[in-house]
Amino acid sequence: MNSACIDIRNLNVFYDGHTALKNISLSIPHRQITAIIGPSGCGKTTLLRSINRLIDFSDGVKVSGEILVDGQNILGPKADVTSLRKKIGLISQKPSPLPMSVYDNVAYGPRIHGMRDKKELDKTVRNCLETAGLWEELKDRLRTSATKLSVGQQQRLCLARSLAVKPEILLCDEPTSALDPVSSQNIENKLAELKKYYTIVIVTHNIHQAMRLADYVVHLYLGELVEYGPANEVFQKPKEDRTRAYINGTAFKELEIDSQINLKGKVCPLNFVFAKEALETRCREEWKPTARR
Amino acid sequence: MHRRRVEEAIFKGLMIASITIVAGSLLSIVAILAWKGLPALNIAMVTQTPKGGYYLGKEGGILNAIVGSLYLATGATVLAFIISLMVALFLQREYIGKTRFAGLVRLSLDILWGIPSIVYGAFGFAIMLYMGIRASLLGGIIVLTLLEIPILTRALDEVVRMIPKDLKEASYALGTTRLETSFKVVARQALPGIITAVLLAFGRGIGDAASILFTAGYTDRIPTSLFDPVASLPLAIFFQLGTPFPEVQARAYASAVILLVIILSISIVSRLLTKRLARNTVK
Repeated sequence: MNSACIDIRNLNVFYDGHTALKNISLSIPHRQITAIIGPSGCGKTTLLRSINRLIDFSDGVKVSGEILVDGQNILGPKADVTSLRKKIGLISQKPSPLPMSVYDNVAYGPRIHGMRDKKELDKTVRNCLETAGLWEELKDRLRTSATKLSVGQQQRLCLARSLAVKPEILLCDEPTSALDPVSSQNIENKLAELKKYYTIVIVTHNIHQAMRLADYVVHLYLGELVEYGPANEVFQKPKEDRTRAYINGTAFKELEIDSQINLKGKVCPLNFVFAKEALETRCREEWKPTARR
Repeated sequence: MHRRRVEEAIFKGLMIASITIVAGSLLSIVAILAWKGLPALNIAMVTQTPKGGYYLGKEGGILNAIVGSLYLATGATVLAFIISLMVALFLQREYIGKTRFAGLVRLSLDILWGIPSIVYGAFGFAIMLYMGIRASLLGGIIVLTLLEIPILTRALDEVVRMIPKDLKEASYALGTTRLETSFKVVARQALPGIITAVLLAFGRGIGDAASILFTAGYTDRIPTSLFDPVASLPLAIFFQLGTPFPEVQARAYASAVILLVIILSISIVSRLLTKRLARNTVK
């Protein structure tokens, strides 16, 4: 294993008394793609949001343990959250372009971090849009509103915007789940290219996507770390029964629950609580094949 | 089945009746003002201050009240906006979140909103007596600011709370501070709502008579300093309507027309402005 880039030690996260993550300890390797898999509400997004401390904005949240990024404990009282977030890019599930032009979206981060020179900004915007595969499509439309782009383009714009602040780590929270297959493919290809330069952590619902992309896999189930290791080992010879069941498509639970109580789009803590309740009640019932779509 | 169709018809009827009342009252206000006020409206009304015998129906105009009202409402709205924006941004979850304190602030604002403006006037008057300040532009602006703050803050608070969480997080994820996100993303996305809120507050400020009755006073001259008393359109209407002369009473309606035109034109201009400024916002 390469030198660890993110070291998580005994991480516990609670939402209003509910435990969302139980004693997670793992190392995320440098310049590899690590996929976090598991059913809805198992804490994947919570884990991801702990790494860039966006979790601070959730209500009633309590975090304990340590997350070391480049050897610094980012959960400590002395952690500088803004410079941490500059170092860690985020691609969220639903692309959220900022209410400004394409150019300003990409230039937003660099400007905030002190880049004033017009030429330098132009160069950064161009580089980032090229890396995200948008330059050819958008070079004549840099002044149009970012909200006018297609969803697939918006997601690549969000990628370009994250890259513009020169992060070392990219966190992707189901980056393709709102996209059509072609746009998803685009994003996946970009991520595979980018792992040469960035440490990438991707949360995904899609086992096949994890198989295609991941070098390392983290399997979470109801807030617990079930299995963690190199992708080929986890996918081909899972040590844990629960992982095998999940990979072999016992993920029906997740699909079923998702379709019933449209989990995503709800606030994270509720998402977790609902899913947990639903899973706990459903798991006791006998699974009928007809329920699977 | 039949019962449900009747229900549907009854409620549709009620809705149409309600809309007629709403639209009808606006139309009738405009019609009555035009009918009573337009004959008395002339160019002198908006270009001259009252001359010696104005309140007896002689020459002059109410430029003093027009300028005074604009001074008062603009000053108060600017001050109230600065304060309210700070409060509304502070009420975001990143600052005080869903704490009991935030709830208390919102409750206080709701109560302040409900306080009649004459009470603000009496309060301002008491403070001014205590401090030895006489009725003046400054006093009027301060009391109107107090009057506008609850409206503006609650309106801005609602607008700011409507900002999608994802949008703010996208900004935070780039390493921005709360302040940078508030002004560069939240304020920009909320701009159409902010303009509407400011307009609402301005409308309340320019139209209020009771709060400035004692605090701003009334004068026939255009104030040249913050410490001069100042005239205002609502009080101009009030005084002119109170005279026994029909000519002067007609001028009260003409003044109301002027007030209405000011509010309407600001409303239209800001709507156009909103359209232009909102072209980038996330729908």
